[in-house]
Amino acid sequence: MSSLPQRDAFWNRVFDIAKKDRNIMVITADMGAPSLDQFRKDLPAQFVNVGIAEQNAVTIAAGLALSGKKVFTYAIAPFITLRCLEQIRVESAIMGLPITFVGVGAGFGYPDSGPTHHMLEDIAIMRALPNIIIHSISDSVMAAAIGERSCGLKIANYVRLDRQLLPDLYDSATDFSPGLTVLKEGTDRFLVATGSMTTTALAIARRLEDRGLSLGVIDVHTFPLNAELFLRIVQSATKLVSIEEHFLAGGLGSAVCEVLNDNNRGSVQLARIGLSMEQGFTGCYHYGGRDVLRKQYGLDDASLEQRIVRHFA
Amino acid sequence: MRKQLDELSGKSKELRKIILEMCIRAGTGHVTSSLSCIDLLIALYHGGLLNCDAANPSWPQRDRFIMSKGQGSPALYAVLADLGFFDQRELDRFAQQGGRFGVHLQHDVPGVEITSGSLGHGFGIAAGMALGAKLDRELHLVFAMLGDGECYEGSIWETAMFAAHHRLNNLIVLIDRNYMCVTDFTENLVQLEPFDQKWKAFGWDVVNIDGHSFERIFEALSSVRSRKSIRPLAVIAETVKGRGIASLCYDPLWHAVVPQGADQDAARLCLERWCTHE
Repeated sequence: MSSLPQRDAFWNRVFDIAKKDRNIMVITADMGAPSLDQFRKDLPAQFVNVGIAEQNAVTIAAGLALSGKKVFTYAIAPFITLRCLEQIRVESAIMGLPITFVGVGAGFGYPDSGPTHHMLEDIAIMRALPNIIIHSISDSVMAAAIGERSCGLKIANYVRLDRQLLPDLYDSATDFSPGLTVLKEGTDRFLVATGSMTTTALAIARRLEDRGLSLGVIDVHTFPLNAELFLRIVQSATKLVSIEEHFLAGGLGSAVCEVLNDNNRGSVQLARIGLSMEQGFTGCYHYGGRDVLRKQYGLDDASLEQRIVRHFA
Repeated sequence: MRKQLDELSGKSKELRKIILEMCIRAGTGHVTSSLSCIDLLIALYHGGLLNCDAANPSWPQRDRFIMSKGQGSPALYAVLADLGFFDQRELDRFAQQGGRFGVHLQHDVPGVEITSGSLGHGFGIAAGMALGAKLDRELHLVFAMLGDGECYEGSIWETAMFAAHHRLNNLIVLIDRNYMCVTDFTENLVQLEPFDQKWKAFGWDVVNIDGHSFERIFEALSSVRSRKSIRPLAVIAETVKGRGIASLCYDPLWHAVVPQGADQDAARLCLERWCTHE
């Protein structure tokens, strides 16, 4: 298990760079983190708390960006994405301002907070905007690396951070710029995952390996999906399973479908696993942790394993 | 001073005609919204209240002017073209094929800072720019033009609170108080009054002026650079939507409609008479 939550790994790295670059600014909509306290304390001129006013956070950030600042906005994921969608659309997708939108609580990251705090549509919705990169973070090493990358990006990006402690999957020398990473080699069968589901997919693939079913694991951590690299990796694949803690409409599985379809690979049998639209939010009012919620949607380890084995049978 | 006021008054008539013809030619555009704010724009740009340079639109020391009510773009485009920010012939192609800009404001036009059309954005951007200027100890001012109808957007009040809290006294908002929205008068829709008290309660200095009187506009803004107040300044400019063309005033129908046929001739005639007799 990582010793550091993704948000702290992310903000610590940004803070280190901001100490040397006074143009880096953080606008928080009253979201705190131990790692943000150092901004408040040591770099007060680079830290603004706008209160619980996410839309204002984005427009203020846009004005600062037009003044030459490199701006990060920060809130719980649904509030910095869905609530501000139109601000993001006008200020970044249309005007091209390179703001970094940081949302914490991907998927069921706030498991006991109910559906208002779950983030289950952000990949679909942010992916629908041109001119914005999505970084779907799967571990703290990646969070730090993307914090650094964000400081230099000339284009807007959305960073979806998990709120819970997850195992570290990467070493600090990893190059995340290709946008996706093969975490377990494969030939004709792969699991494709993103965010917290990458850890889950890797664990399942390792267990199934022991049972004689060999599956590669691809972590898609950046959208738009790097189609060229993805197609190269799965060039011999006949079957794929995508796994996401996200509604099925428009998410990772949809992105994979689009790439396969648009490149004459429609014959690949892809099973998309995620939250079903039919079930909607009804499964979200269950408490007791992430695993309880995942079970509601057939995303617990046992159900996933069963569905994967069935698809590859 | 009198001479300058007369010149501005002449410009006001000249640009009104240009705005009307731009929109008639395109068959689209917000004529009345443009005519309510055009005198404020002329005072800023032609009257020298705003520091800017047509030959160098991105001059770093320029005052920023943010047209938050992006539907008033014909007014701003007419002003910028008149000052030479871009070729006046662009106005002839307003919102037409091959034209450089359309009905709502576009950030890539020389002299324009933002894309606007969706309301409630520009004001926050202006406040962010004012904060940026403070942080970098830049002395330029940031002006934002809001519509009164735009003030129904909740984001306006998020920004109003923010700007006062951060003592952004380099931020001046001009509110085009024409009392009309898209489908009705503001006080019928959802009452905005007491409008000035709302701004005061949010921590702003407020002045109420006649937004068509260059004398009043100058009274409110000519010493704005030496203001001692720590508060941002809201200038609530009482205006008439469609001012100069009586046939288009006081009827919400004309918000996004350009006169056609006989209405066109009536509008031109109204404007000509107003220009001659006012």
